Amino acid sequence: MQIKKIPQYVLQTLKNTLNRENLPPKKVLCYSSIFISLVAALLGFFSTVFSFYIGDIQLQIILITIGVLFCLLIYYSLIKLHKRKESISLIIFTCIVFFLAYALPLIPPKYGLQQFEINAAFLKFMIVSILLVIVGIFGVSFAMKPLYNFTSKSNQSSAYFILTFSLLLILYPLVVIIGNIMINGLGGISWDFLTQDVIKHGAQGGINHALFGTFIVTIGTAIIAIPLGVASAIYLIEYAKAGPIVRIIRIAADILQGIPSIVFGLFGLAVFVPIFGISILSGILVMGFMTLPIVIRGSEEALLCVPKSIREGSYAVGATKWQTIRRVVLPPALPGIITGAVLGLGRAAGETAPIMFTASIFMAPFPTSVFEPIQSLSFHLLQLTKYIGAYPVEQNAWATALLLIGIVLGMNAIAIIVREKYRVEF
Amino acid sequence: MLLSRKIKETIIKNIFFLSAAFSILIILFIFYFLFQQAFPAFQHSGLDIFGTNWNPPEGKYGIGAAIYGTIIVTIGAMIIAIPLGIAGAIFLSELAPSYLRTTLKPIIELLAGIPSIVFGFIGIILLVGYLHLTFDMLSGYSYLAGALILGIMAVPIIVSMSDDAMKAVPREIKEASLALGATKWQTIKKVIMPTSISGISAAVILGIGRAVGETMAVSLVLGNIMKIPIPPWNIFESKGTTVTSFIVTEMGESSGLQTKALFASAVILFIIVAIMSISSNILKQRVQKKFKGG
Repeated sequence: MQIKKIPQYVLQTLKNTLNRENLPPKKVLCYSSIFISLVAALLGFFSTVFSFYIGDIQLQIILITIGVLFCLLIYYSLIKLHKRKESISLIIFTCIVFFLAYALPLIPPKYGLQQFEINAAFLKFMIVSILLVIVGIFGVSFAMKPLYNFTSKSNQSSAYFILTFSLLLILYPLVVIIGNIMINGLGGISWDFLTQDVIKHGAQGGINHALFGTFIVTIGTAIIAIPLGVASAIYLIEYAKAGPIVRIIRIAADILQGIPSIVFGLFGLAVFVPIFGISILSGILVMGFMTLPIVIRGSEEALLCVPKSIREGSYAVGATKWQTIRRVVLPPALPGIITGAVLGLGRAAGETAPIMFTASIFMAPFPTSVFEPIQSLSFHLLQLTKYIGAYPVEQNAWATALLLIGIVLGMNAIAIIVREKYRVEF
Repeated sequence: MLLSRKIKETIIKNIFFLSAAFSILIILFIFYFLFQQAFPAFQHSGLDIFGTNWNPPEGKYGIGAAIYGTIIVTIGAMIIAIPLGIAGAIFLSELAPSYLRTTLKPIIELLAGIPSIVFGFIGIILLVGYLHLTFDMLSGYSYLAGALILGIMAVPIIVSMSDDAMKAVPREIKEASLALGATKWQTIKKVIMPTSISGISAAVILGIGRAVGETMAVSLVLGNIMKIPIPPWNIFESKGTTVTSFIVTEMGESSGLQTKALFASAVILFIIVAIMSISSNILKQRVQKKFKGG
C-alpha cells in the first residue's frame, strides 16, 4: 500500500464504521452520553463536597469518553437528522470538552491569589470539580437535543434535569446538618445528661437548667403571645371593616414579623432590663412580642377558612356576634390557630439573640421567681460553641444541638401534623 | 336584658380592638426606645456614623464597615439563594408529582425552622474548617462563610413563598397556554413566571430581609473586626463584620457612647428591614388583587 493512500484509507474505514447501518441506535447513543455526563456531574459535586481530587488519568478518561460520545452524536445529527445549525452548540461543547481534557491536568496544584493581595488560593481539585459539574450539566442538556430531534421538548427535558439537580443542592445541606447532629449527638444523650448540672464549663455534666429554662421561656411566651395574637386576629377578621386602622394594624404586624431578633434583644435590654433586671419576665416579654405576629398570621388564615355562610346561619337563628364567634367560628378554626401558635413557639424555643441580653446567664442556678435569670438551650449552645478549642466541650455541644433541634423540629412537625389531620373542609 | 347583652358585645369588641392595636403600640415602643437610646450617638457623630472610622477611644463611631459587610454577605447569600430557591419552587409547584410535593414541602419548611444558633454551630464545626482547607485561607472565618450560611438559610423561605406564588396562578391561564400547543416548560417560562413575578419578588425581598437581620449564625463564622477588607472584594479575609454580628459581639463589653452607637446601628437595621417588609407586602397584595380581579 502506498503512503499517499493512507489518508484515503483512514477516511474510508471511518466512513464504513460510521455508516448509518453500523451506527448504534439513537437511544443507546443519547442515553449513554446522558449517563456519562451525569456521572461527571455527580463526581464533580461529591469531590467538591468531600475535598478530594479524582486524579489526572480518571479525569481525562471521563472527559475523553464524553468527547467521543458527543462526536458520534454530532455525526449522527448532521448525517441523519440534517440539523446543521442546531448542531453548532454540540460542536462547540465537544471542542471545549477536548480542550479541558488536555488542559485540566496541566493546572498547578494551587493557584494563589497573592498577586491580588488576597491570602487565599484556588486549589486544583476545586477548579476541576466545579468544571466537572458544569460540563456534566451541559452534557446532559445537550445530549437531550438529538434524543428529541431538536424539538422544544428537548429544552423542556434539559430544564427539568437542571431543576432536579438544584433540588439536590437544596436538600443536601439539610441532610448534612441533620445527619451530622444525629450521628454525633446521639452518643451524648443520656439520662445523666438530661438531669445533671453543668460541670466544668459544660465539658461534663448535663443541661437540666438549660432544658428547664427553655421550657419556662416557651410557656411564658405562649401565655403572652397566644391570647393577644388570637384576639388581634379575631378583631381583624370578624369585627374590623376595611379602613385605615385595619391597614395600619396589618402593616404593623408585618413590620413586627420582619424585625431582626437582635433588635428585639436590644429593645428588651433598653426597656425591660432596667425595670425587671436580667430575668425570666424580661425574656418572655421580648419573646412574646416577637412571636405575636406569627400567631396573628396563623390565626387570621384559620379564621378566613371558615366560610361566611356558617356565620350568617348563626346570625339567622338570633345569635349575637360574640356567641357566633365563640360557638360557630372558633371550633373549626382551632386546628389552624394551634398550628400557627405552635410554629411561633417553635421559633421562640430556638432563638438566642432576644434572650441573651435579657434573660439568660451561663450556668445560672435554678430560678425561684420570674425575676431571676435562667439558662436556655440555645444560649448554652452558643457558650459551648465559643468554648470549643478551649475546653473539651464538643461532645456536649453536639448533644445540646441535637436536643435543641429535636425540640424545635418536633414542635414544627406537630404543627404540620395538626394542620394536615384536623383540617376541616367546607 | 337586651341592653346588657349589647353592652357585653361592645366591651368584647373593644377588648379585641385593643389587642389588635397592641401591635402598633409595640412597633412605636420599639422604635421610640431604640431611638431614645441611640440619639446621643446620632448627636455625637452626625452623618459620620455612616463613615468607616470606628475608633471608640478617640470618639469615632462610624459603622460603615459593618454596613458594607452586611451588603457583601447579603449579596453573596442571594447569589446562592435566588437561583436555587426559584428552581426549587418551580420543581415543587409544577414538576413534582403530588406525593413528592406533599413530602418535600414540609421538609423544606422544616429546614426553615432550624434555629440559627445551630447553623452557626455547624458553620464553625464543618464549614469553617472546610473553607480553610479548600481555599487555603489563613482561617476559614470570612465573608464567604457568612454568605454560604446565610444562603443556605434563605433558600427555604424563597422556595416556600415562591411556590405559593406560582400555585396561585389561575389554572385557566396555564391551560390556555397548553391548549395553544406550548410545552409545559414553555408555559412555565412564558406564562407562569411572568404572572407570578411579583409574588416571587416578595419572596426574594423577604429572604433578603432575613439575611440582613440574621444574627447568631453569621456572628459565629465572621472575624468580627470593624474593618473593610483590603481589597474590598476580598471575601476570604478573616476580618470584617456585619451590623447584626457587630452588635451581638460588642454589646457585652461596651459602655457609654459606644453602647449608644450600637443602638444607633440597631435603629438603622430596623429602618432597613421595615422598608423591606412593607415593600414585600405591597408586592404580595398586588398579586392578590391581580388574581381576584380576574
